[in-house]
Order: sequence, then structure tokens, then C-alpha cells
Amino acid sequence: MNLKKYIAFSAVVTSLVLHSCQRGPNDPGTEFAPNMYVSTAYEPYSMVKDSTNKINPYGINLREPAQGTVARRNYKTTYKDASTGEEYDLGLMVYRTHPDSLEEAAKTLKNPLKITKQVIAEGKVLYEYFCQHCHGAEGKGDGKVGQKYGGVANLTGGQIAKANGGHIFHVITHGKGRMWPHGSQMNALERWKIVSYVHVLQGQINPDGTPVVKEEEKKEEKKEETKK
Amino acid sequence: MKRLKKTASKILNLLRIVFVSKKTPIIFVLLKEPIFSIEKMYANNFTSMHNKTFTRYILAIATCWVLLCSNTLTAQNAGKADAAKGKDLYAQNCATCHKIHSNATGPALKDVSQRRTEAWLIKWIRNSQSVIKSGDPIAVKLYNEWNQTAMNSFPDFTDQDIKNILAYIDEESKKEPVKATATAQTGGGATTAAATDGGYTNIILGALAAILLVILAVLLVLTSLLTKLLKQRDDLDEADKEIVESKFDLAKILGSKAFIGTVAGIVFLVIAKAGIDKVMDIGMQIGYAPTQPIPFSHKLHVGKYEIACQYCHTTVMKAKSAGIPSANICMNCHNAIKTGSPNMQKIYSYIENNQPIPWVRVHNLPDLAYFNHSQHTVAGQIACEQCHGEIKEMEVVQQRSPLTMGWCIDCHRQTLVSYTTKDADGKDVLNPYYEKLLAFHKSKGKTKFKVEDMGGLECSKCHY
Repeated sequence: MNLKKYIAFSAVVTSLVLHSCQRGPNDPGTEFAPNMYVSTAYEPYSMVKDSTNKINPYGINLREPAQGTVARRNYKTTYKDASTGEEYDLGLMVYRTHPDSLEEAAKTLKNPLKITKQVIAEGKVLYEYFCQHCHGAEGKGDGKVGQKYGGVANLTGGQIAKANGGHIFHVITHGKGRMWPHGSQMNALERWKIVSYVHVLQGQINPDGTPVVKEEEKKEEKKEETKK
Repeated sequence: MKRLKKTASKILNLLRIVFVSKKTPIIFVLLKEPIFSIEKMYANNFTSMHNKTFTRYILAIATCWVLLCSNTLTAQNAGKADAAKGKDLYAQNCATCHKIHSNATGPALKDVSQRRTEAWLIKWIRNSQSVIKSGDPIAVKLYNEWNQTAMNSFPDFTDQDIKNILAYIDEESKKEPVKATATAQTGGGATTAAATDGGYTNIILGALAAILLVILAVLLVLTSLLTKLLKQRDDLDEADKEIVESKFDLAKILGSKAFIGTVAGIVFLVIAKAGIDKVMDIGMQIGYAPTQPIPFSHKLHVGKYEIACQYCHTTVMKAKSAGIPSANICMNCHNAIKTGSPNMQKIYSYIENNQPIPWVRVHNLPDLAYFNHSQHTVAGQIACEQCHGEIKEMEVVQQRSPLTMGWCIDCHRQTLVSYTTKDADGKDVLNPYYEKLLAFHKSKGKTKFKVEDMGGLECSKCHY
């Protein structure tokens, strides 16, 4: 074999080897200008190899807020209802209810929202995000996760169907029985919206936001009218 | 059937007592005068013979009716507890905390009526707290065994309701728990289906290869046969003879200029492509699918169990970052599901040591570009899948979009601004925020209102 053949052969081999070199799933590839890519200040959730945060434990950039911190957004608690155009104050929505105070919460906590179609529509979206996979689309406790998890409450049956807003709010926040607390996943306003929608599922409130009048009450009303 | 026969004979007896004892048989009366003639009744001023018959007739029917009703009523009361009714009550009130065959929030209810007396159960279900307070040893023991979790009271239940529920539980206790085997079977079915699916293409490829080999063999046989035949002939000229007697010389072919030229050309092209690819790849992370400390499957959680993205990525609708869930969100379900799996144990140990789970970030946008999730999900109304791909089918999450500036700009140039919002009835209404902007845009004679028309291509929107 002459030199030409050697060169040709080695060229073929190297090209094939080079071509088969693809980066694996764990390799993010080459960065063009790392000093422009990586923030000098610590950014939440940023992951940079070899330059992890040396001050915080475990190299994380986020730290827990000091005990008792109240988020700024909780000082401006107004709600603007898009369907009526009304904007009203919800009061300071900071709740420091104790996990064991379910009965007290059911008595004292009141839904600060005026339940309208809009509130219910917003509550429905949130219900789909946070509740549906366990409690099911109709609140029967038959969601796909619920079936696997077991012991999921049927919101429309038995005593739970009669539960008031404060009760439901407390259960979402701190959990009850088999359900674990979900307070960390949504703020108070969102929880009250969900409460409003759950009332619709329970049949306590009509889908248009008006309270359901039971037949007995209707009869009583009629009687009163006839008396007048 | 027996009950039917009984009621029928009862009615017959009754009719005999009421009518046959009278001198004029009822049929005869009916034939003589129509008894339901009200005019006649008025005319006779309710005193005539016919009217008396009529009253008696009505009485007879009423008695029959009462007898019939009482018959069904007694059947209901004295009959067995109704498991079908119990099933509904159970589903609405008990299934929240109890399972038949396994412990849940409360103990498993299998054969509960054999463990406890009916009277005790009725007391307990009506008001468990009062039974505990009365110092009942079974109740106190149960209460302490279950971490002093009080069972809900059901004061509205009648005795019959509770009996119905117990009947349903008895019925269910006899059945074997079948769930586990069923899921195992479906799981197996799925894997075999997947295997055959992959094997199918392999079989087709194999068949094609076999056909090609057969064709090659046939061609070789044909050429050898033809050369043999041609060699026997004498009337061939020089050129033809040369072809027939030519031999396959590998060295000659390899050494030929044409061959070396082609190979060199191919090699050059391949190297050039690889080089360009490598250069173009710089700063591109598309396809990045890092191994996570816990092999969390989006395919299972999002695809199979239909958990919304927002359940775990809680801030995606209201903040810059979508958020990585902390372990307490995992625990909302995994305090009960798959608690024995080694990966679950890993999460438990992270929680016990108060450590963060070292998830590897998949989508890294350089610091020089600003991106806000809530802007795109709420104002832009873009679905997660548009940028993140079919997360529902990903066992390991992979970056599907290039996340380059060109990709951003492309979308901003094409996407129409969603200037409507859904109102409470689900109808599209104009978002008042865009009112003036849209009017101005239309006054300029433009029709389509795209993101680029409201500053979507401004440098300082993302780079500042």
C-alpha cells in the first residue's frame, strides 16, 4: 500500500468517528459566552456548575423568608369583578388559623368575595388546577389520582355537601383526614375562589351565583306572600 | 311470585266478603245501571240504592288499596336491610375515609359486623365521640390506635340507613380485592403491545433485506450462467470477448482515480457537515435531557393521572419563573402512594434532613435575555406545550424548543395578539387593556394585530 491509500483510509475512519460524536442527554453543549450567560448576582433556580452559591447551605440561591413574614401582596387585597366592573376591598387577607381550629374556622371565617359568575368561572379554573385530579370534575371524589389515593372526599354527598365556606377554606389550607395541606400552593384569594366554585358543585349556589333556595323555603316564602 | 299470589287471593277474599254477602250480586248491579253516572246520583240525592252500591264499591277499592299498601310497607320494614341503598349511602358518606379491604384514614371495614355488635355500630356511627366519652373499652382502644383521630358523626342516619350500609359492607366483604391483579394485567398488556409495535418494523426491514439478498443471488447466478453460455459461442468479436473474459480486480478499482476522487469528496463533505453542525451547536441546548436525582416521570403524572401543570409549578401563572415544586407537594399524594419505592425513600430522606432535592434545571435561558412565564401564560394565553413540547409523553423531560433569539422573534412575528378574554359566560370579549392600542392599529390601515405590532421586536423588551 502506498501513502495515498493510508491517507484516504485514515480520513474515512476519522470522518466517521467525528460524525458519530453526538453529545449525550446530560451534556448541555458548549456555551458561546459564559460570562454573558451567567448572572453575577444570585438568581433563583439558576444552576451553574463550579460556581454554586457558597454562602447558602446546599448551594441554593433561594432562602426561606424570616419567620412571620407577610407577602407584600397581602396588604393590597382588593378584587375587581370583571363581570360587574365592581372593585372592592377584601380586607386584610392574612389568616393565622391553627391547623386544629376547623370548627372555629367554620364558624368565624366568611368568604370576602361576592359570589358572581365571574368569581365562579375563575374558581372553576383553579379547581381544575388544584383539586380535579383527586376530587373529580364534578366533585364526586372520583378523579384519576383520587381513585389511586383512596379515601378522597365526595364534595357533593353527605355532610360535606352542607359544609360552609369557612370549613372548606380551612380544609384547603390545613388539610383534613387523608387530605394534606394545600395552603402553600395558592394564596388566600385563590382559595376563596375555589370555595365559591365548590359551593356550586355542592348545590349550595346556582352556577349563576345566586344562592339555591330549597323547596321548603320556597313554600314558606309563598305562604308569607299570601299572608301579606 | 308467592307474594303476588298472596295479594291476589287477599283481594278476591275481600271482594267476596263485600259483595257476595249482599243479596244482589255486583255484576247484576253494574249491568242494570251505570254506577258512575253522577247526574243520577245527584238526582237521587245520594240516598238511592245505586248510590249505596257506589259508596260500597269505593269503600272496597279503598280497602284493597290500603291492604296492598300495607302489604308493601310491611315488606319494606320487616324485610332484609337493603344493600343497594347502603351502597349509595356508603359512597356518599363512608368511602371518604374507609376502604373495605385495606386501611385508609379509618380502619378496613371487611367483616365489621362480625367484629362488633349492630347496636354498638349504630351508636358509634351516630356519634363516635359520645361512645368514647362514655368510656367504652373498644371505642377508647380504637381511638388511641388511630392516633386519636375522631370519626365524623352522622346524627341524621336512621337505624335502617345504618343497617343498609352494614348490609352493603357485608356483601363487599365476601368479594375478593381484585384491583391489584387487574392493574398488573393491564401493565403487562401495555408492554407486550409496545414490544410488538417495535418488532413490526423490524420484521418489515428483515423481510426487505432477505428479498434484496435473494435478488442479488439470482443476479449472480444469471451472470455466471450467461458468461458460461457466451464462452461456448465462437462468433464473438474482440470487444465482446474482452468483456466476457474480464476478471474482477479489486486492487485496480481501489487504485483508480475515479474511486479515490469520489471517496475524498464524500469524506470532505462529511467532515464539513460535522464541523458546521458543531459550530452551529454552540449555545444550543435543544435535546438536553439531564438525568434527574429522582426519575420523576411526567408521562405518568401528567399523561396518565392528568394532574395539571399548575398543581406543581404553582407560580407559572403569576411569576417570572414557573417554579420547581418543593417536597411538600410531592407528599400531598406520596404520603400514601408508592411509599415503599426506593426513589420515594430518597425523597423522605431529603425531607428528614431538611435538604433540597437537587433537581437539574433543563431550560436555561442566558442571563442576557429576559423571559417571564406569567406574561406568556396569562396575557399571551399560550399553552405550556407550545414551547415545552409533548410533556405528557416524556419519561425524561427534554428541551424541545431551541430557545434561541431567532425562535423567539419568529413567534413574535407570527403570533396574533390575543386581545380578547373570556367573560364569565365563556364568551370572547375585548380586553379593555388593548382597546386604544387596537383602535390605533386599525386607524393605520393594518388588519392583523401581531405581537410585533406592540413592540414584540423591541430590543429593550428582552435585553436590558
